[in-house]
Amino acid sequence: MKFVFVVLVLCALLWSASFVAVCHGVSEADAASAVANADQTVIGCYQSAANAEQAGANVSALLVTLDDAGLLLSEAHLALLNGSFDSASALAGQCVAMLEGFNGTADGLKSSALQAGFVDFWVNIVGSAVGAVAVLVGGFLVWRFLKGKKSVKAGAV
Amino acid sequence: MDISKYGVPFFVVVAVVSLLVASPALSRVLVLPRTEFFSELWLLGPNGMAENYPYNISSGQNYGLYLGIGNQLGYCAYYVVEVKFRNETQSAPTSFGTLEPSSLPSLFNITAFVADEGTWQIPLTFSFAYGVNQTPLEVEFSSLTLNGAVLSLQGDSSAWNATESRFYGDLVFELWLFNSSTSVFQYHERFVDLQLNMTV
Repeated sequence: MKFVFVVLVLCALLWSASFVAVCHGVSEADAASAVANADQTVIGCYQSAANAEQAGANVSALLVTLDDAGLLLSEAHLALLNGSFDSASALAGQCVAMLEGFNGTADGLKSSALQAGFVDFWVNIVGSAVGAVAVLVGGFLVWRFLKGKKSVKAGAV
Repeated sequence: MDISKYGVPFFVVVAVVSLLVASPALSRVLVLPRTEFFSELWLLGPNGMAENYPYNISSGQNYGLYLGIGNQLGYCAYYVVEVKFRNETQSAPTSFGTLEPSSLPSLFNITAFVADEGTWQIPLTFSFAYGVNQTPLEVEFSSLTLNGAVLSLQGDSSAWNATESRFYGDLVFELWLFNSSTSVFQYHERFVDLQLNMTV
């Protein structure tokens, strides 16, 4: 009787275990892949920020985000080195999540900067150069007009 | 009225007004181009000054520093500072001739993104955990804690230097720069280090 009871309890325990979600640790290969993916994401975002800066955008806010993501990436590398694969994978995931939408923002800043640069070129460079020439030509024409008026006056006298 | 005698002042005024109108364009054209492109790397003491650097180190004690980078490369740069720790006999980065990094593995990488003509600086807090071996007389390191990250120094030791009466330790920060065209980090030929006396 006692034996049957023990067997039943064991069976119940085994059956109940099937309801528990199986928890797998992250393998070294998966963690390394997650960290490599985060590495590539950071590089891609850096290149977007660099392109935006080259177009004349103020990228200081983007660089703050990149710095934060870079810190997570460094910690992920360290965790990978120390064999904490769960932690490495989680940190790499956080790093990638932090950079979600980054490229879009960088591209938006780049477009705005290019537009502003275009306006700046026409107003400040072409506009002022043309304006300066106009002032010189205008001055010369005014001088000619004043001199002509004086000659007419002299002729009339 | 003889207008001819006002010719010079008139054209001077016209020229001055013309220069004023042209000044936005001239300010872009008459700029000396940048010819020197470089990066700066510095280490400051706990008060953010080039003084009071930690030297006599006790095991388990926290010490503060500031690490900074200046970017004059003409573009936004992606740097990595490799943190290394060495004793007297281990490879050191070179300062003269062929500039090469230490061959030791990096214990930790500090990433920094710095805008062109921008600077970047962070506080660093570090501590060492080590013990003393009597025969041979040496310090045996177990870990370096840098800004909360525990970095293993298992297997590292520093022998007693009788000439200088110290257990030597050297905390090295090497600057590496991401090269966009090759997509790899390259040693940027700059390092700063902090030479330490591990007291017991």
